[in-house]
Amino acid sequence: MISVTPTSSHTENLDLANLTAEQTALSIRHLNLHYGDAQALYDISMMIPKNQVTAFIGPSGCGKSTLLRCINRMNDLVEICRVSGEILLHGKNIYDKDVDVAALRRQVGMVFQRPNPFPKSIYENVVYGMRLQGVNDRRTLDEVVERSLKGAALWDEVKDRLNESAFGLSGGQQQRLVIARAIAIEPEVLLLDEPTSALDPISTLTIEELITELKKQFTVVIVTHNMQQAARVSDQTAFMYMGKLIEYADTNTLFTTPAQKQTEDYITGRYG
Amino acid sequence: MDKLNMSRHISGKFNDELEAVRNQVLNMGGLVEQQLRDSLRAIETSDHDLAEQILQRDAAINKLEMQIDESCVQIIAKRQPAASDLRLIIAIFKTISDLERMGDEVERIGRVALESFSNDQQDFLVSLENLGQQVLAMLQKVLDAFARMDLDAAVEVHQMDALADRQYEALTRQLMTYMMEDPRGIPKVMNVLWSARSLERIGDRCQNIAEYIIFFVKGKDVRHVSSDALRQALTGQQ
Repeated sequence: MISVTPTSSHTENLDLANLTAEQTALSIRHLNLHYGDAQALYDISMMIPKNQVTAFIGPSGCGKSTLLRCINRMNDLVEICRVSGEILLHGKNIYDKDVDVAALRRQVGMVFQRPNPFPKSIYENVVYGMRLQGVNDRRTLDEVVERSLKGAALWDEVKDRLNESAFGLSGGQQQRLVIARAIAIEPEVLLLDEPTSALDPISTLTIEELITELKKQFTVVIVTHNMQQAARVSDQTAFMYMGKLIEYADTNTLFTTPAQKQTEDYITGRYG
Repeated sequence: MDKLNMSRHISGKFNDELEAVRNQVLNMGGLVEQQLRDSLRAIETSDHDLAEQILQRDAAINKLEMQIDESCVQIIAKRQPAASDLRLIIAIFKTISDLERMGDEVERIGRVALESFSNDQQDFLVSLENLGQQVLAMLQKVLDAFARMDLDAAVEVHQMDALADRQYEALTRQLMTYMMEDPRGIPKVMNVLWSARSLERIGDRCQNIAEYIIFFVKGKDVRHVSSDALRQALTGQQ
Protein backbone atom coordinates (compact mmCIF):
# COMPACT_ATOMS: atom_id res chain seq x y z
CA MET A 1 0.00 0.00 0.00
CA ILE A 2 1.45 3.33 -0.99
CA SER A 3 0.58 6.27 1.17
CA VAL A 4 0.32 9.57 -0.59
CA THR A 5 1.20 12.75 1.23
CA PRO A 6 -0.03 15.91 -0.43
CA THR A 7 2.82 18.23 -1.24
CA SER A 8 2.64 21.58 0.43
CA SER A 9 1.72 24.03 -2.25
CA HIS A 10 2.43 27.66 -1.73
CA THR A 11 -0.66 29.70 -1.19
CA GLU A 12 -0.17 32.63 -3.51
CA ASN A 13 1.35 32.49 -6.95
CA LEU A 14 4.21 34.86 -7.55
CA ASP A 15 4.19 37.08 -10.58
CA LEU A 16 7.32 35.53 -12.07
CA ALA A 17 7.84 38.32 -14.56
CA ASN A 18 7.74 41.03 -11.92
CA LEU A 19 9.31 39.81 -8.70
CA THR A 20 10.29 42.45 -6.19
CA ALA A 21 13.93 42.71 -5.12
CA GLU A 22 13.14 40.95 -1.81
CA GLN A 23 11.46 38.07 -3.61
CA THR A 24 14.28 37.55 -6.09
CA ALA A 25 17.25 35.27 -5.54
CA LEU A 26 18.61 35.38 -9.06
CA SER A 27 17.81 37.39 -12.09
CA ILE A 28 18.93 36.00 -15.45
CA ARG A 29 18.95 38.52 -18.27
CA HIS A 30 19.41 37.86 -21.96
CA LEU A 31 21.80 35.01 -21.36
CA ASN A 32 23.41 33.51 -24.46
CA LEU A 33 25.97 30.75 -24.40
CA HIS A 34 28.14 29.32 -27.16
CA TYR A 35 30.34 26.26 -27.17
CA GLY A 36 32.70 27.25 -29.98
CA ASP A 37 30.43 27.93 -32.95
CA ALA A 38 27.44 26.11 -31.52
CA GLN A 39 24.95 28.13 -29.56
CA ALA A 40 23.60 26.24 -26.54
CA LEU A 41 21.47 28.92 -24.86
CA TYR A 42 19.40 31.55 -26.62
CA ASP A 43 18.47 34.79 -24.88
CA ILE A 44 17.31 33.31 -21.60
CA SER A 45 15.65 35.78 -19.24
CA MET A 46 14.00 34.71 -16.02
CA MET A 47 13.72 35.59 -12.35
CA ILE A 48 14.30 32.89 -9.78
CA PRO A 49 12.43 33.54 -6.54
CA LYS A 50 14.01 33.28 -3.11
CA ASN A 51 13.31 30.35 -0.78
CA GLN A 52 11.46 28.43 -3.42
CA VAL A 53 12.22 25.42 -5.54
CA THR A 54 12.59 26.14 -9.23
CA ALA A 55 12.84 23.19 -11.61
CA PHE A 56 14.31 23.13 -15.11
CA ILE A 57 12.85 20.41 -17.31
CA GLY A 58 13.26 19.52 -20.95
CA PRO A 59 14.59 16.80 -23.23
CA SER A 60 18.28 15.83 -23.30
CA GLY A 61 20.43 18.53 -24.83
CA CYS A 62 17.88 21.29 -24.28
CA GLY A 63 20.35 23.34 -22.26
CA LYS A 64 18.90 22.94 -18.78
CA SER A 65 22.11 21.64 -17.19
CA THR A 66 24.13 24.23 -19.09
CA LEU A 67 21.89 26.96 -17.70
CA LEU A 68 22.21 25.53 -14.19
CA ARG A 69 25.99 25.46 -14.50
CA CYS A 70 26.00 29.11 -15.57
CA ILE A 71 24.60 30.05 -12.18
CA ASN A 72 27.84 29.21 -10.39
CA ARG A 73 30.08 29.60 -13.41
CA MET A 74 30.93 25.95 -13.77
CA ASN A 75 31.09 26.59 -17.50
CA ASP A 76 34.23 28.67 -16.93
CA LEU A 77 36.04 25.34 -16.84
CA VAL A 78 35.07 24.69 -20.46
CA GLU A 79 37.58 26.51 -22.61
CA ILE A 80 35.51 27.01 -25.74
CA CYS A 81 32.54 28.31 -23.78
CA ARG A 82 31.44 31.93 -24.24
CA VAL A 83 28.72 33.57 -22.19
CA SER A 84 26.97 36.88 -22.82
CA GLY A 85 24.18 38.48 -20.85
CA GLU A 86 23.86 38.74 -17.09
CA ILE A 87 23.03 36.71 -14.04
CA LEU A 88 22.39 39.01 -11.11
CA LEU A 89 22.87 37.87 -7.53
CA HIS A 90 22.07 40.68 -5.11
CA GLY A 91 22.02 43.03 -8.09
CA LYS A 92 25.60 42.16 -9.04
CA ASN A 93 26.37 40.41 -12.30
CA ILE A 94 28.25 37.21 -11.45
CA TYR A 95 30.04 37.43 -14.80
CA ASP A 96 31.62 40.80 -13.99
CA LYS A 97 35.40 40.73 -14.18
CA ASP A 98 35.90 41.61 -10.52
CA VAL A 99 33.86 38.65 -9.24
CA ASP A 100 35.81 36.08 -7.18
CA VAL A 101 34.57 32.76 -8.54
CA ALA A 102 35.51 30.86 -5.37
CA ALA A 103 33.45 33.32 -3.32
CA LEU A 104 30.58 32.97 -5.78
CA ARG A 105 30.62 29.20 -5.39
CA ARG A 106 30.42 29.58 -1.63
CA GLN A 107 27.18 31.50 -2.19
CA VAL A 108 25.92 29.14 -4.87
CA GLY A 109 26.48 25.49 -3.95
CA MET A 110 26.04 22.59 -6.29
CA VAL A 111 25.16 18.89 -6.05
CA PHE A 112 25.66 16.56 -8.99
CA GLN A 113 23.94 13.57 -10.47
CA ARG A 114 26.24 10.95 -8.94
CA PRO A 115 27.13 11.24 -5.29
CA ASN A 116 30.78 12.31 -5.12
CA PRO A 117 31.99 12.12 -1.52
CA PHE A 118 35.70 12.57 -0.95
CA PRO A 119 37.76 9.56 0.16
CA LYS A 120 37.65 10.73 3.73
CA SER A 121 35.53 10.22 6.82
CA ILE A 122 31.92 11.36 6.94
CA TYR A 123 32.97 14.11 9.35
CA GLU A 124 35.78 15.38 7.13
CA ASN A 125 33.53 15.39 4.09
CA VAL A 126 31.09 17.75 5.78
CA VAL A 127 33.72 20.15 7.12
CA TYR A 128 35.81 20.16 3.93
CA GLY A 129 34.56 23.58 2.85
CA MET A 130 35.01 25.03 6.32
CA ARG A 131 38.61 23.83 6.49
CA LEU A 132 39.26 25.38 3.08
CA GLN A 133 38.05 28.63 4.57
CA GLY A 134 40.58 28.18 7.37
CA VAL A 135 38.14 27.20 10.10
CA ASN A 136 39.70 24.51 12.27
CA ASP A 137 38.17 25.08 15.70
CA ARG A 138 36.89 21.67 16.76
CA ARG A 139 33.82 22.93 18.54
CA THR A 140 32.70 25.07 15.56
CA LEU A 141 33.28 22.17 13.20
CA ASP A 142 31.33 19.78 15.46
CA GLU A 143 28.40 22.16 15.39
CA VAL A 144 28.57 22.52 11.62
CA VAL A 145 28.64 18.74 11.18
CA GLU A 146 25.61 18.18 13.36
CA ARG A 147 23.64 21.07 11.88
CA SER A 148 24.45 20.13 8.27
CA LEU A 149 23.80 16.43 8.70
CA LYS A 150 20.51 17.18 10.42
CA GLY A 151 19.69 19.62 7.62
CA ALA A 152 20.37 16.88 5.10
CA ALA A 153 18.26 14.38 7.08
CA LEU A 154 21.26 12.10 7.61
CA TRP A 155 22.28 12.77 11.21
CA ASP A 156 20.32 9.95 12.86
CA GLU A 157 21.77 7.40 10.48
CA VAL A 158 25.44 8.36 10.83
CA LYS A 159 25.90 10.08 14.19
CA ASP A 160 27.61 7.02 15.70
CA ARG A 161 30.08 6.54 12.89
CA LEU A 162 31.18 9.99 11.87
CA ASN A 163 34.79 8.90 11.58
CA GLU A 164 34.12 6.01 9.25
CA SER A 165 34.73 6.33 5.53
CA ALA A 166 32.02 8.05 3.50
CA PHE A 167 32.28 5.23 0.97
CA GLY A 168 30.61 2.89 3.46
CA LEU A 169 27.33 4.74 3.00
CA SER A 170 24.60 3.73 0.56
CA GLY A 171 24.08 5.76 -2.61
CA GLY A 172 21.15 7.67 -1.15
CA GLN A 173 23.10 8.38 2.05
CA GLN A 174 26.14 9.51 0.03
CA GLN A 175 23.94 11.94 -1.91
CA ARG A 176 22.57 13.34 1.33
CA LEU A 177 26.14 13.60 2.63
CA VAL A 178 27.06 15.62 -0.45
CA ILE A 179 24.07 17.87 0.22
CA ALA A 180 25.25 18.22 3.84
CA ARG A 181 28.69 19.20 2.54
CA ALA A 182 27.09 21.78 0.24
CA ILE A 183 24.94 23.35 2.96
CA ALA A 184 27.73 23.29 5.58
CA ILE A 185 29.14 26.52 4.21
CA GLU A 186 25.64 28.04 4.20
CA PRO A 187 25.21 29.05 0.59
CA GLU A 188 22.22 31.10 -0.48
CA VAL A 189 21.44 29.10 -3.55
CA LEU A 190 21.66 25.36 -3.96
CA LEU A 191 21.90 23.96 -7.47
CA LEU A 192 20.89 20.32 -7.85
CA ASP A 193 21.78 18.67 -11.14
CA GLU A 194 19.60 15.56 -11.40
CA PRO A 195 20.28 14.73 -7.76
CA THR A 196 18.24 11.53 -7.70
CA SER A 197 18.80 10.00 -11.12
CA ALA A 198 21.31 7.50 -9.71
CA LEU A 199 19.17 6.60 -6.69
CA ASP A 200 16.49 4.02 -5.94
CA PRO A 201 12.86 5.18 -5.50
CA ILE A 202 12.93 5.22 -1.71
CA SER A 203 16.15 7.26 -1.52
CA THR A 204 14.65 9.50 -4.19
CA LEU A 205 11.62 10.19 -2.00
CA THR A 206 13.92 10.95 0.97
CA ILE A 207 15.83 13.49 -1.12
CA GLU A 208 12.59 15.00 -2.41
CA GLU A 209 11.34 15.36 1.14
CA LEU A 210 14.67 16.96 1.99
CA ILE A 211 14.37 19.47 -0.86
CA THR A 212 11.08 20.69 0.55
CA GLU A 213 12.83 21.25 3.90
CA LEU A 214 15.87 22.89 2.30
CA LYS A 215 13.88 25.64 0.66
CA LYS A 216 13.07 27.13 4.04
CA GLN A 217 16.73 28.16 4.26
CA PHE A 218 17.98 28.13 0.71
CA THR A 219 16.84 28.91 -2.79
CA VAL A 220 16.84 25.63 -4.65
CA VAL A 221 17.24 25.22 -8.39
CA ILE A 222 16.90 21.67 -9.65
CA VAL A 223 17.41 20.06 -13.02
CA THR A 224 15.53 16.83 -13.42
CA HIS A 225 14.62 14.37 -16.14
CA ASN A 226 11.84 13.08 -13.98
CA MET A 227 8.81 15.22 -14.72
CA GLN A 228 6.79 13.84 -11.86
CA GLN A 229 9.64 14.83 -9.59
CA ALA A 230 9.54 18.39 -10.89
CA ALA A 231 5.79 18.36 -10.37
CA ARG A 232 6.17 17.06 -6.81
CA VAL A 233 8.99 19.19 -5.46
CA SER A 234 9.04 22.48 -7.31
CA ASP A 235 7.12 25.70 -6.87
CA GLN A 236 7.83 26.86 -10.41
CA THR A 237 8.96 25.03 -13.47
CA ALA A 238 10.83 26.20 -16.53
CA PHE A 239 10.49 24.13 -19.69
CA MET A 240 13.43 24.41 -22.08
CA TYR A 241 13.74 23.16 -25.61
CA MET A 242 16.71 23.43 -27.94
CA GLY A 243 18.44 26.07 -25.86
CA LYS A 244 15.38 28.26 -25.48
CA LEU A 245 13.18 28.93 -22.50
CA ILE A 246 9.77 27.93 -23.83
CA GLU A 247 7.61 28.37 -20.77
CA TYR A 248 8.17 29.39 -17.17
CA ALA A 249 5.23 29.25 -14.81
CA ASP A 250 4.12 28.10 -11.42
CA THR A 251 4.26 24.32 -11.30
CA ASN A 252 0.55 23.78 -10.72
CA THR A 253 -0.31 25.71 -13.86
CA LEU A 254 2.43 24.23 -16.00
CA PHE A 255 1.41 20.66 -15.29
CA THR A 256 -2.34 21.15 -15.68
CA THR A 257 -2.78 23.90 -18.25
CA PRO A 258 0.48 24.72 -19.99
CA ALA A 259 0.22 27.72 -22.29
CA GLN A 260 2.60 26.46 -24.99
CA LYS A 261 1.98 23.49 -27.24
CA GLN A 262 5.62 22.38 -26.99
CA THR A 263 5.32 22.19 -23.21
CA GLU A 264 2.06 20.27 -23.50
CA ASP A 265 3.63 17.78 -25.92
CA TYR A 266 6.64 17.24 -23.69
CA ILE A 267 4.86 16.73 -20.38
CA THR A 268 2.20 14.49 -21.87
CA GLY A 269 4.77 12.41 -23.72
CA ARG A 270 3.74 13.30 -27.26
CA TYR A 271 5.88 13.60 -30.36
CA GLY A 272 7.25 17.11 -30.66
CA MET B 1 -10.65 13.81 -32.80
CA ASP B 2 -7.66 15.80 -33.97
CA LYS B 3 -8.22 18.26 -31.16
CA LEU B 4 -7.70 15.47 -28.66
CA ASN B 5 -4.29 14.69 -30.17
CA MET B 6 -4.74 11.30 -28.60
CA SER B 7 -2.82 9.34 -31.17
CA ARG B 8 0.36 11.38 -30.80
CA HIS B 9 1.78 9.87 -27.63
CA ILE B 10 5.18 8.29 -27.92
CA SER B 11 3.68 5.32 -26.10
CA GLY B 12 1.31 3.60 -28.52
CA LYS B 13 -0.23 1.64 -25.68
CA PHE B 14 -1.19 4.86 -23.90
CA ASN B 15 -2.88 6.02 -27.12
CA ASP B 16 -4.85 2.78 -27.17
CA GLU B 17 -5.85 3.05 -23.53
CA LEU B 18 -7.13 6.60 -23.91
CA GLU B 19 -8.93 5.76 -27.13
CA ALA B 20 -10.58 2.75 -25.48
CA VAL B 21 -11.81 4.66 -22.46
CA ARG B 22 -13.11 7.46 -24.66
CA ASN B 23 -15.04 4.95 -26.76
CA GLN B 24 -16.52 3.46 -23.62
CA VAL B 25 -17.80 6.90 -22.61
CA LEU B 26 -19.36 7.40 -26.04
CA ASN B 27 -21.03 3.98 -25.74
CA MET B 28 -22.37 4.85 -22.33
CA GLY B 29 -23.65 8.18 -23.63
CA GLY B 30 -25.30 6.36 -26.53
CA LEU B 31 -27.09 4.01 -24.13
CA VAL B 32 -28.39 6.87 -21.98
CA GLU B 33 -29.57 8.70 -25.09
CA GLN B 34 -31.38 5.58 -26.30
CA GLN B 35 -33.02 5.16 -22.88
CA LEU B 36 -34.24 8.75 -22.85
CA ARG B 37 -35.57 8.52 -26.39
CA ASP B 38 -37.37 5.27 -25.59
CA SER B 39 -38.87 6.59 -22.40
CA LEU B 40 -40.32 9.58 -24.26
CA ARG B 41 -41.71 7.24 -26.92
CA ALA B 42 -43.15 4.93 -24.25
CA ILE B 43 -45.01 7.87 -22.72
CA GLU B 44 -46.24 9.09 -26.09
CA THR B 45 -47.50 5.69 -27.18
CA SER B 46 -48.38 4.40 -23.68
CA ASP B 47 -46.17 1.41 -24.44
CA HIS B 48 -45.97 -0.53 -21.18
CA ASP B 49 -43.62 -3.19 -22.57
CA LEU B 50 -41.08 -0.62 -23.68
CA ALA B 51 -41.33 1.07 -20.26
CA GLU B 52 -40.51 -2.25 -18.59
CA GLN B 53 -37.52 -2.76 -20.86
CA ILE B 54 -36.19 0.67 -19.96
CA LEU B 55 -36.27 -0.21 -16.29
CA GLN B 56 -34.23 -3.33 -16.95
CA ARG B 57 -31.63 -1.73 -19.21
CA ASP B 58 -30.39 0.70 -16.56
CA ALA B 59 -28.16 -2.03 -15.13
CA ALA B 60 -26.01 -1.96 -18.28
CA ILE B 61 -25.35 1.76 -17.80
CA ASN B 62 -24.33 1.24 -14.19
CA LYS B 63 -21.97 -1.52 -15.22
CA LEU B 64 -20.33 0.67 -17.87
CA GLU B 65 -19.80 3.41 -15.32
CA MET B 66 -17.90 1.00 -13.10
CA GLN B 67 -15.80 -0.28 -16.00
CA ILE B 68 -14.85 3.23 -17.09
CA ASP B 69 -14.01 4.18 -13.51
CA GLU B 70 -11.70 1.20 -13.37
CA SER B 71 -10.02 2.12 -16.68
CA CYS B 72 -9.45 5.70 -15.52
CA VAL B 73 -7.97 4.56 -12.21
CA GLN B 74 -5.57 2.30 -14.09
CA ILE B 75 -4.50 5.10 -16.41
CA ILE B 76 -3.85 7.43 -13.49
CA ALA B 77 -1.88 4.77 -11.61
CA LYS B 78 0.20 3.67 -14.56
CA ARG B 79 0.56 6.77 -16.74
CA GLN B 80 0.44 9.71 -14.34
CA PRO B 81 -1.32 11.79 -16.99
CA ALA B 82 -0.54 15.51 -17.10
CA ALA B 83 -2.00 18.59 -18.74
CA SER B 84 -4.64 17.78 -21.41
CA ASP B 85 -4.43 14.03 -20.71
CA LEU B 86 -5.12 14.70 -17.05
CA ARG B 87 -7.96 17.07 -17.88
CA LEU B 88 -9.45 14.45 -20.20
CA ILE B 89 -9.42 11.79 -17.48
CA ILE B 90 -10.96 14.18 -14.95
CA ALA B 91 -13.60 15.24 -17.49
CA ILE B 92 -14.39 11.57 -18.15
CA PHE B 93 -14.67 10.75 -14.43
CA LYS B 94 -17.17 13.53 -13.94
CA THR B 95 -19.05 12.97 -17.18
CA ILE B 96 -19.77 9.31 -16.51
CA SER B 97 -20.98 10.11 -13.03
CA ASP B 98 -23.51 12.52 -14.55
CA LEU B 99 -24.45 10.00 -17.25
CA GLU B 100 -25.12 7.33 -14.63
CA ARG B 101 -27.38 9.68 -12.69
CA MET B 102 -29.18 10.55 -15.94
CA GLY B 103 -29.81 6.83 -16.35
CA ASP B 104 -31.50 6.80 -12.92
CA GLU B 105 -33.62 9.80 -13.87
CA VAL B 106 -34.72 8.11 -17.10
CA GLU B 107 -35.90 5.14 -15.07
CA ARG B 108 -38.18 7.51 -13.15
CA ILE B 109 -39.49 9.03 -16.37
CA GLY B 110 -40.25 5.57 -17.70
CA ARG B 111 -42.60 4.92 -14.80
CA VAL B 112 -45.05 7.54 -16.16
CA ALA B 113 -45.53 5.35 -19.20
CA LEU B 114 -46.85 2.62 -16.92
CA GLU B 115 -49.77 4.87 -15.89
CA SER B 116 -52.98 5.30 -17.83
CA PHE B 117 -54.14 8.83 -18.40
CA SER B 118 -57.60 10.21 -19.23
CA ASN B 119 -58.17 12.40 -22.27
CA ASP B 120 -58.17 15.66 -20.34
CA GLN B 121 -54.82 14.71 -18.84
CA GLN B 122 -53.26 14.43 -22.30
CA ASP B 123 -52.48 18.16 -22.37
CA PHE B 124 -49.74 18.00 -19.85
CA LEU B 125 -48.36 14.87 -21.45
CA VAL B 126 -47.83 16.99 -24.56
CA SER B 127 -46.01 19.62 -22.47
CA LEU B 128 -43.94 16.86 -20.88
CA GLU B 129 -43.11 15.59 -24.36
CA ASN B 130 -41.95 19.09 -25.41
CA LEU B 131 -39.71 19.37 -22.40
CA GLY B 132 -38.45 15.87 -23.12
CA GLN B 133 -37.56 16.75 -26.72
CA GLN B 134 -35.65 19.83 -25.63
CA VAL B 135 -33.68 17.80 -23.08
CA LEU B 136 -33.06 15.02 -25.61
CA ALA B 137 -31.69 17.61 -28.05
CA MET B 138 -29.38 18.86 -25.32
CA LEU B 139 -28.17 15.36 -24.57
CA GLN B 140 -27.52 14.58 -28.24
CA LYS B 141 -25.66 17.81 -28.71
CA VAL B 142 -23.54 17.46 -25.61
CA LEU B 143 -22.56 13.90 -26.53
CA ASP B 144 -21.60 15.12 -30.00
CA ALA B 145 -19.62 17.93 -28.41
CA PHE B 146 -17.89 15.42 -26.14
CA ALA B 147 -16.96 13.17 -29.06
CA ARG B 148 -15.33 16.08 -30.88
CA MET B 149 -14.38 18.09 -27.78
CA ASP B 150 -16.17 20.95 -29.52
CA LEU B 151 -16.04 24.12 -27.45
CA ASP B 152 -18.70 26.04 -29.41
CA ALA B 153 -21.20 23.20 -29.20
CA ALA B 154 -20.56 22.89 -25.45
CA VAL B 155 -21.29 26.59 -24.98
CA GLU B 156 -24.50 26.19 -26.99
CA VAL B 157 -25.66 23.30 -24.80
CA HIS B 158 -24.88 25.38 -21.76
CA GLN B 159 -27.26 28.02 -23.07
CA MET B 160 -29.99 25.60 -24.14
CA ASP B 161 -30.65 24.80 -20.49
CA ALA B 162 -32.42 28.13 -19.95
CA LEU B 163 -35.23 27.07 -22.33
CA ALA B 164 -35.58 23.69 -20.60
CA ASP B 165 -35.86 25.49 -17.26
CA ARG B 166 -38.61 27.76 -18.62
CA GLN B 167 -40.53 24.81 -20.05
CA TYR B 168 -40.25 23.01 -16.73
CA GLU B 169 -41.61 25.99 -14.82
CA ALA B 170 -44.53 26.38 -17.23
CA LEU B 171 -45.38 22.69 -16.93
CA THR B 172 -45.22 22.87 -13.13
CA ARG B 173 -47.71 25.74 -13.14
CA GLN B 174 -49.98 23.81 -15.48
CA LEU B 175 -49.86 20.74 -13.22
CA MET B 176 -50.52 22.76 -10.08
CA THR B 177 -53.61 24.30 -11.65
CA TYR B 178 -54.85 20.84 -12.60
CA MET B 179 -54.29 19.48 -9.10
CA MET B 180 -56.26 22.35 -7.57
CA GLU B 181 -59.12 21.77 -9.96
CA ASP B 182 -59.25 18.00 -9.53
CA PRO B 183 -57.65 16.68 -6.32
CA ARG B 184 -58.60 13.10 -7.22
CA GLY B 185 -56.07 13.18 -10.05
CA ILE B 186 -53.19 14.22 -7.76
CA PRO B 187 -51.42 10.82 -7.51
CA LYS B 188 -51.11 10.53 -11.30
CA VAL B 189 -50.22 14.17 -11.76
CA MET B 190 -47.51 13.80 -9.12
CA ASN B 191 -45.91 11.13 -11.28
CA VAL B 192 -45.88 13.51 -14.21
CA LEU B 193 -44.39 16.19 -11.98
CA TRP B 194 -41.63 13.82 -10.89
CA SER B 195 -40.87 13.00 -14.52
CA ALA B 196 -40.75 16.65 -15.43
CA ARG B 197 -38.39 17.19 -12.53
CA SER B 198 -36.23 14.30 -13.77
CA LEU B 199 -36.11 15.78 -17.27
CA GLU B 200 -35.13 19.13 -15.89
CA ARG B 201 -32.35 17.45 -13.89
CA ILE B 202 -31.09 15.69 -17.02
CA GLY B 203 -30.88 19.10 -18.68
CA ASP B 204 -28.80 20.34 -15.75
CA ARG B 205 -26.50 17.35 -16.06
CA CYS B 206 -26.06 18.02 -19.80
CA GLN B 207 -25.02 21.49 -18.76
CA ASN B 208 -22.51 19.95 -16.33
CA ILE B 209 -20.99 17.84 -19.10
CA ALA B 210 -20.74 20.95 -21.28
CA GLU B 211 -18.74 22.51 -18.43
CA TYR B 212 -16.38 19.53 -18.31
CA ILE B 213 -15.81 19.85 -22.07
CA ILE B 214 -14.97 23.52 -21.62
CA PHE B 215 -12.63 22.53 -18.76
CA PHE B 216 -10.90 20.02 -21.01
CA VAL B 217 -10.48 22.38 -23.95
CA LYS B 218 -9.67 25.61 -22.13
CA GLY B 219 -8.45 24.42 -18.75
CA LYS B 220 -10.95 26.79 -17.13
CA ASP B 221 -13.44 25.95 -14.43
CA VAL B 222 -16.73 27.52 -15.53
CA ARG B 223 -19.03 25.92 -13.00
CA HIS B 224 -21.40 28.20 -11.11
CA VAL B 225 -21.05 31.16 -13.45
CA SER B 226 -23.77 32.90 -15.46
CA SER B 227 -23.95 32.40 -19.22
CA ASP B 228 -22.71 35.94 -19.80
CA ALA B 229 -19.78 35.46 -17.44
CA LEU B 230 -19.06 32.19 -19.20
CA ARG B 231 -18.89 33.84 -22.63
CA GLN B 232 -16.69 36.52 -21.20
CA ALA B 233 -14.37 34.00 -19.59
CA LEU B 234 -13.99 32.15 -22.87
CA THR B 235 -13.47 35.13 -25.12
CA GLY B 236 -11.58 37.24 -22.63
CA GLN B 237 -8.42 35.15 -22.57
CA GLN B 238 -6.33 33.06 -24.86
